[in-house]
Amino acid sequence: MIIVVLMCLKLMVLLFFSLCNLAVLSVCEVTMASGTSEAGSSDLKLQFAPFSSALEAGFWHQLTQKKLNDYRLDESPKCIKGYYYNGDPVGLPTRLTLEFSAFDVDGPTPVRCCPAIGTLYNTNTLDAFKATDKKALLEKEAKEIWDAIESGTALKDPSILCRFILLTFADLKKYHFYYWFCFPALCFSEGIKIVQQPSVLEQVFSAKQIAALQEAYDDLCIKRGTTAVPYFLMKYTDDTVRMAPLGDWEAFFTDTKKVTVGVYDPCTLSQHPGWPLRNLLILLAYRWGSKLDTVEVLCFRDRTMQGSRSIHHSVIFQVKLPTFAPNSACPKSVGWEKNPKGAMGPRMVNLSECMDPKRLAESSVDLNLKLMRWRLVPSLDLDKVINTKCLLLGAGTLGCNVARTLMGWGVRHITFVDNAKISYSNPVRQPLYEFEDCLGGGKSKAMAAVERLTKIFPGVNAEGYNMSIPMPGHPVNFSQTTLSQAQRDVEQLEKLISEHDVVFLLMDTRESRWLPTVIAASKRKLVVNAALGFDTFVVMRHGLKKPLVTGSAPSVPGSSLFSNIPGHKLGCYFCNDVVAPGDSTRDRTLDQQCTVSRPGLAMIAGALAVEMMVSILQHTEGGYAVASSSDDRMNEPPTSLGLVPHQIRGFLSRFDNVLPASLAFDKCTACSPIVLDHYEREGFQFLSKVFNSSHSFLEDLTGLTLLHQETQAAEVNHPHTNMYTNSCRPNSCS
Amino acid sequence: MSLCLLDEDSFRSSCKLLLQQSEELRDSWTWEPGSSEEGYLKKIALKSVVIDSSLKWNLIDDDEGEAADVCGLSEGSSSSQVFQYEYHIVYSCSYRTPALYFRACTLEGRSLSLEEVWSSVHPNLRLRLKHCPLNTITQQEHPLLGQPFFLLHPCRTQDFMRPVLQAAHQQNRSVNYVLTWLSVVGPLVGLDVPLHYSISSSSTKPD
Ligand SMILES: [Zn+2]
Repeated sequence: MIIVVLMCLKLMVLLFFSLCNLAVLSVCEVTMASGTSEAGSSDLKLQFAPFSSALEAGFWHQLTQKKLNDYRLDESPKCIKGYYYNGDPVGLPTRLTLEFSAFDVDGPTPVRCCPAIGTLYNTNTLDAFKATDKKALLEKEAKEIWDAIESGTALKDPSILCRFILLTFADLKKYHFYYWFCFPALCFSEGIKIVQQPSVLEQVFSAKQIAALQEAYDDLCIKRGTTAVPYFLMKYTDDTVRMAPLGDWEAFFTDTKKVTVGVYDPCTLSQHPGWPLRNLLILLAYRWGSKLDTVEVLCFRDRTMQGSRSIHHSVIFQVKLPTFAPNSACPKSVGWEKNPKGAMGPRMVNLSECMDPKRLAESSVDLNLKLMRWRLVPSLDLDKVINTKCLLLGAGTLGCNVARTLMGWGVRHITFVDNAKISYSNPVRQPLYEFEDCLGGGKSKAMAAVERLTKIFPGVNAEGYNMSIPMPGHPVNFSQTTLSQAQRDVEQLEKLISEHDVVFLLMDTRESRWLPTVIAASKRKLVVNAALGFDTFVVMRHGLKKPLVTGSAPSVPGSSLFSNIPGHKLGCYFCNDVVAPGDSTRDRTLDQQCTVSRPGLAMIAGALAVEMMVSILQHTEGGYAVASSSDDRMNEPPTSLGLVPHQIRGFLSRFDNVLPASLAFDKCTACSPIVLDHYEREGFQFLSKVFNSSHSFLEDLTGLTLLHQETQAAEVNHPHTNMYTNSCRPNSCS
Repeated sequence: MSLCLLDEDSFRSSCKLLLQQSEELRDSWTWEPGSSEEGYLKKIALKSVVIDSSLKWNLIDDDEGEAADVCGLSEGSSSSQVFQYEYHIVYSCSYRTPALYFRACTLEGRSLSLEEVWSSVHPNLRLRLKHCPLNTITQQEHPLLGQPFFLLHPCRTQDFMRPVLQAAHQQNRSVNYVLTWLSVVGPLVGLDVPLHYSISSSSTKPD
């Protein structure tokens, strides 16, 4: 079908044509019929498919290198090279491609592709990019083409007919690249009249002629020492085809009544030639227009599909060229590429994802995790893990290992709280610190840990707080200063716990775990606790109290003492203890202060703490999930990652772990209702009493004192300190 | 054991053979020389993909009127987008096998994420990956270009090449390691290896 110049009339014209069933029709008649006056346009005009710019990722990488190392602030035009190809399958746009080798103008062009030389204008600022006079750039380029046509150099080297301009601005801070291509084309003011409609070659040429044509083209390539010839001359008979380079015109064509020119045509449309033909026709019109009756054009297309080559789909047609008056001025020119909206404007591409090293690190880390999901655990909810805000109380051996494992899971938000400085013994066991960090009295652990995390992975959102956590039995009332400091510390800790999703208790004393246990229980935050003995450890999640709004937790009749305990009924770190924290002589729990652990233990426990958190997060009920026990190891796991235990108790001497579960203790010194109630009602008033008093204060409050008396009297074990937890609790301070 | 490994010289001769066939079949593999002996095979393939609304162009409105061009064909906005797929076959010294690096970009030169690559290659990404034993993909710097690429990790290559090579060895058949390997791994990332390669390779035996 015919596509006509007057776009607004397209439909009407099409209708008209189909009615008349005429191959060639004067547009004037149509315009008159429709009543518009489009003076000067007559006959069917040839339309060219413009180039679409195609940039490979490598081009931008190379431009970046050039800008940084060679050009720097130099804005002078640079010579670059692109190429186009005439073997595309139907449906692909006509492209001019620039790859990383574009800056190597003398380098090889891909096989069977035509090179196109261009001029790069890389500006230093976006303002300069915007302010560049595009009209002037185009006119300058057009003038050069025109000069080459006038002087005849374009005949010898017709590559000047297919040039381009590339205007760029590279914002290397944001990795944003602004660009605008121009494919300069000189214009005939009245267009080009089609004499013979475009046809597919196989409808015009015999099989024999096509074979001869292919052979002639290959011979020409060999003669020219290339694999693609952009423009050529052609003569043919019923069984022969001869070709010659453009410069041989005078010798090749003795009769100029009808000449045939070939163009290496990157377009795949059956009714239109691509852009490279435009300036060639200007050249022909300028030099021989008055002598030529019609010009036959072969749009040479040469594709190979499934190993078989074909040129049958090349397009052939005839046009009548206008003539130029002698000494004509340079014709008007067009060529700036439209943006994808179809408007005149530059384009911008954001390459931060593949060029910014920090973004690259992030996407690589994410990809690794996604692959784990895609390949192994399809139902894994990674976003839940990655978006979890983790508060690490303690930045020692446990804290360092927990942080590293969290980073492995892609967790972005990690906050450290620690008041210690890095000492000489630390770096070998605490993988976030180095010898240098110990010098000059040692850096603050919380701060150094943040620094190192950011070095390991700049995408992390880490913060450090160099602060103390007030402890029961460690008075804060020496002065008003110490008291208000303690109050500020408590407020800070409350704020931090509120702002995070999971609280890790990784301190080296048992007492310091008390305050965060109380606050987190009150705020219904998930707590993961890890503590080390010499060759034993415990990693546990604290029971997550039912949300405040629902009031008292309904009792679940089905749960027995040791199995199927729902998350809200699980105990905390202090539930198993019959003494309040604060009394080191009676403290039998495991904590590092009183012992040295086997060096591998912190890594094992730290890793398990994070893996436990991830498993909890994958459970639909999260912290309320029923505790899995060692017995559940044979059953269908509750999450895609497996079990969600209450506690993992490990015995390195036996290389063994057990998964005990225990109920919350109603006389617990940290999570019992009476403690939480006092904390919630009295706040710091209550806390300071706990800090300033001996352990008996909490024991009296919770009823432990009474219990002790009863127990001693009866000489039986407390029913809650069941055999399981007792026997499993490693004794560290012996 | 040694049967499944490929030394660098064999890699190069294997590539040379593949290039010859590519030339015959007018497939577009090229040899891109690196410094000294090094180099890699490269192929660029274009595909037109139905447009995904997440892949939007970045536009700046800066309509500077250019005189209406009556001879320029104005194409309507198309519903498909063209992606450029780039495949590199690089020798992996540590695994002594070929390694397939790949990336895809829009015509603007923006690299696609792995999900985007895959969704344009296989409609059902997850199914594909689940049933594929060689799906270890990482994002890595290209060893010769220093630009980020996806890498189909060569750690599994020997596993699936061993039976092929052993069978060929028993039948006294010569096998182009790189070509055989490519015909297995290529389709995983949308790279089709025409059947004609194997036809022409069995007819033109080396040595
Ligand atoms: Zn408790």
